[in-house]
Amino acid sequence: MWGKLVHWIEIRIGLEELVNKHLRLFRTPKGANFWSTLGFVSLIAFIVQAITGIMLLLYYVPHPEYAFQSVQTITNEIPFGWFFRSIHNVGGNLIVAVIIIHLVHVFLRVSYKKPREITWVTGVLMFLLVLLACITGQLLPWHQTGFWQTTVTSTIPSFLPVIGEGISSYMRGGASVSGITLSRFFSFHVVILPVFIVALMILHVLLIRRQGLSTSPAVEPEADASPPEEFRREPHLEGHPCFPHFSVKRSFMVMFYFTVLFFILTFFPNLFLPAEANIQADPLLTPEAIRPAWYFLAPYQLIKTIPNDVMGISLVVIFSMVLLFWPFLDAKDAGRNIRKRPMLLSLGLIVLALWAIFTIWGMYS
Amino acid sequence: MMRYLIVTVAVFVAVFLTGLSLASYRETFEKEFMLSPWSIAKGEVSACIQCHTSENMEPRIHQHVQEWRGSWHAKNNVSCHDCHGGAPEDASMSMMHQRGFKGAPKDTEIPQFCGTCHIAIQDNYIKSGHGKTFISTGEGPSCVTCHGSHNIQQASMDIINEQLCSQCHTYERAKEMKQALFLVENKLNTIANDLKRLKLFGIGTDMQEKAFFRNHAEYRALFHSINVDAVRAKSSEYTQKLEIIEAEINDSFKQLAFRRNFSAYLFLIFIGLGIVVLLLSKSYEQKSS
Repeated sequence: MWGKLVHWIEIRIGLEELVNKHLRLFRTPKGANFWSTLGFVSLIAFIVQAITGIMLLLYYVPHPEYAFQSVQTITNEIPFGWFFRSIHNVGGNLIVAVIIIHLVHVFLRVSYKKPREITWVTGVLMFLLVLLACITGQLLPWHQTGFWQTTVTSTIPSFLPVIGEGISSYMRGGASVSGITLSRFFSFHVVILPVFIVALMILHVLLIRRQGLSTSPAVEPEADASPPEEFRREPHLEGHPCFPHFSVKRSFMVMFYFTVLFFILTFFPNLFLPAEANIQADPLLTPEAIRPAWYFLAPYQLIKTIPNDVMGISLVVIFSMVLLFWPFLDAKDAGRNIRKRPMLLSLGLIVLALWAIFTIWGMYS
Repeated sequence: MMRYLIVTVAVFVAVFLTGLSLASYRETFEKEFMLSPWSIAKGEVSACIQCHTSENMEPRIHQHVQEWRGSWHAKNNVSCHDCHGGAPEDASMSMMHQRGFKGAPKDTEIPQFCGTCHIAIQDNYIKSGHGKTFISTGEGPSCVTCHGSHNIQQASMDIINEQLCSQCHTYERAKEMKQALFLVENKLNTIANDLKRLKLFGIGTDMQEKAFFRNHAEYRALFHSINVDAVRAKSSEYTQKLEIIEAEINDSFKQLAFRRNFSAYLFLIFIGLGIVVLLLSKSYEQKSS
């Protein structure tokens, strides 16, 4: 029966050739480890968000009068609605964590260098868009936490000179967070941002498929990793076929992702849903403590700490720009082995340490 | 390419640094979002509070605002004008009688003053020994005797205590009342805590909260009659009503347990799958080496 089914598919789409061409013949480099699979885990995390988001969309009503109640209905009355909502909520935080780790790994392996600059830029752009998706998503349940987080987040751009007020006003659709903001954030969260993220994702994956995965400078000799002057796909003859070797590694990391997801759902179900997240948004009543989500705590604390907020917000924007275009700013002639580049390693570690310090500081300030 | 990027970054820096002169933003930013305590509701920003906390006022007047800030009223967003009337949004007209300003009530007006909101409690109080004595003699306990005026806290059985009651009469009768209230009050407290816990986990408790609030208010109103027999007679009725709410709460806890178990089940499945896939990965590595 199984053989007949496979044959039926085979004569119609040539499955065997497809698997051979795209998985068996696509070789991964020597030293490709579990860390190298984080891009794939991010993709799976995005698909999980898309599926659970669609399930929520079936019952969600994007109107200030009904939004909170519709989310309550999803959580408490729709069969397994709580399950989809919890996964979407926790998954939204996990995807940011996975992308950050992926970004750090790529940085430490200096995989962004020629010819992979565009891959890096599309990756960072996707990261920024995912953060925007998180900002827009937190308002949709129309609870106190989301409402006041949005109020704070949408105020921050207004401190940029010239364009700041315009950005804030565009985000809110007026002077304060209102039904227009909800409608606007809803459109961005469910249509506009996902379309851009998917487009960038296609480009990102296409580039990886065309160029092949980058080698680990610690495993491969430095001379072999010199930047090419013309296009060539790295054959990775000493490596392994993507299927089954690397695919199994990917599967393991996906299992690990789901294990973490369900661990949080089991033991800390309201880790990302504080008490105020169960109270309908009230523009006249500010909650006792309101902070941005954990991934925004560092920039939030930075803006609070720096004596001039224009300087603070400027630093955040400049940092994002430097991160986005880093492959073009890094020394062209330097090698890829970060152990031989103490300055770059120090820079990376200092930025990471500062990010961690500002995040913890923001959490307790 | 590199040059263009450096120029772009330089332009960004230049534009942002020119904005350094716009320091007035900081004041608004800090005031509105960064340094102001989030616990203060916007309703508090009123002419009443601004004036009553100004340096020109006596410390006694400052004290009223301080006490209110820590009160159950403040926690429930009940502000000065909700009791004293007036126009908090308009400093010049805030204390005009034409704008509904009532000011501080005379002692004899206190039950009516509080009864504007606590209607059922006022009705029972007026019919009680406490109320009759207060109305006929102008002496005896009014609302503020037990609950205070500005530092009003959430009422509990602790208000009935020997120190307070024995100011006017012996504690014996009050003790009897406390005993009569004990079971139902205990149940009310348990339900209140359970509802808080369920809410924290995102379980919808609107129906139970409404039913709880109704029973809670009715029972508290009944207590103000100071009629031990009436409280005893009604206690079993309220116990039954509260048990219905408790049963619904228990169902919600079961639902919560199901959610946790379901997630734990999937957690274990993925641990198992992870181990299998890891072993598979190791075996492929061994084969290829």
